[in-house]
Amino acid sequence: MATQRVLPQSKETLLQNYNKRLKDDIRSILDNFTEIIKTAKIEDETQVSRPTQAEQDHYEMHVRAANIVRAGESLMKLVSDLKQFLILNDFPSVNDAISLQNQQLRSLQEECDKKLTSLRDEIAVDLYELEEEYYSSSSERCFLVLFGACWVWSCLLCCTCSAFSSISN
Amino acid sequence: MANERLRVLEDVEKEIAAILQCAGNIVLELSKDKHNASFLDRQLVQFQSSVNRVESELSGQIRYLTQVATGQPHEGSTYSARKDCQMALNRAEYAKVKLGELGRTCEVMLEQPQQHQQPT
Repeated sequence: MATQRVLPQSKETLLQNYNKRLKDDIRSILDNFTEIIKTAKIEDETQVSRPTQAEQDHYEMHVRAANIVRAGESLMKLVSDLKQFLILNDFPSVNDAISLQNQQLRSLQEECDKKLTSLRDEIAVDLYELEEEYYSSSSERCFLVLFGACWVWSCLLCCTCSAFSSISN
Repeated sequence: MANERLRVLEDVEKEIAAILQCAGNIVLELSKDKHNASFLDRQLVQFQSSVNRVESELSGQIRYLTQVATGQPHEGSTYSARKDCQMALNRAEYAKVKLGELGRTCEVMLEQPQQHQQPT
């Protein structure tokens, strides 16, 4: 069972305020609704004439209905405030979200670098064959393709070196 | 876990709307000459259960926040992992560009003998 933390005064006051707002709004809804139902009862004997009493009851019901709606809107505002407070201060879930995101990003990075490394190895094999072809013939085409392949292979070598250095860091 | 709590709070918002809806339905039914007693009972039970559910859920959320809130700002970040991933994608893109250039060079070299062989 988690013990109560010692919160800063502002946070503790804020949470107490939330509790108070919740209790007040629920009480307002229940009381006003109960009074509306009581007012709906038609009594035989009234202190004023029946039309006057009806007009008074009508006005009272309007006011109480408006109170119920106001309390409902206040509860919606409270829920919105709680959502905001939860997003900013629910550290366990924020930590979980951050670690999950880090894990996904790292796995994507590792997959990328693994594919680059395998590509580099494949090009190294092709480069070896090209070199053999070049040194056994005097074709200019061979020279240009060999030069291009050497260039790509050196770029891939630089990429994998930077990948390994970022992993070690 | 955070999404679950936010989803619960959204359900609470719908419950609050249901409370007002039930209250309106009850008053509307009472305004009629002939009341449907079973409908009134159902709406009243739903009204009471919704009110109790809203109160208990919101109290539970406030109690949870009282336990986990520290008053300090969260200083966690995914910046370094995101940067490393971005650099890895940049490396892959760079390799793709260079391979594309090599491919175009090979195509050009293959076209050149065909041009030499065409009759003038």
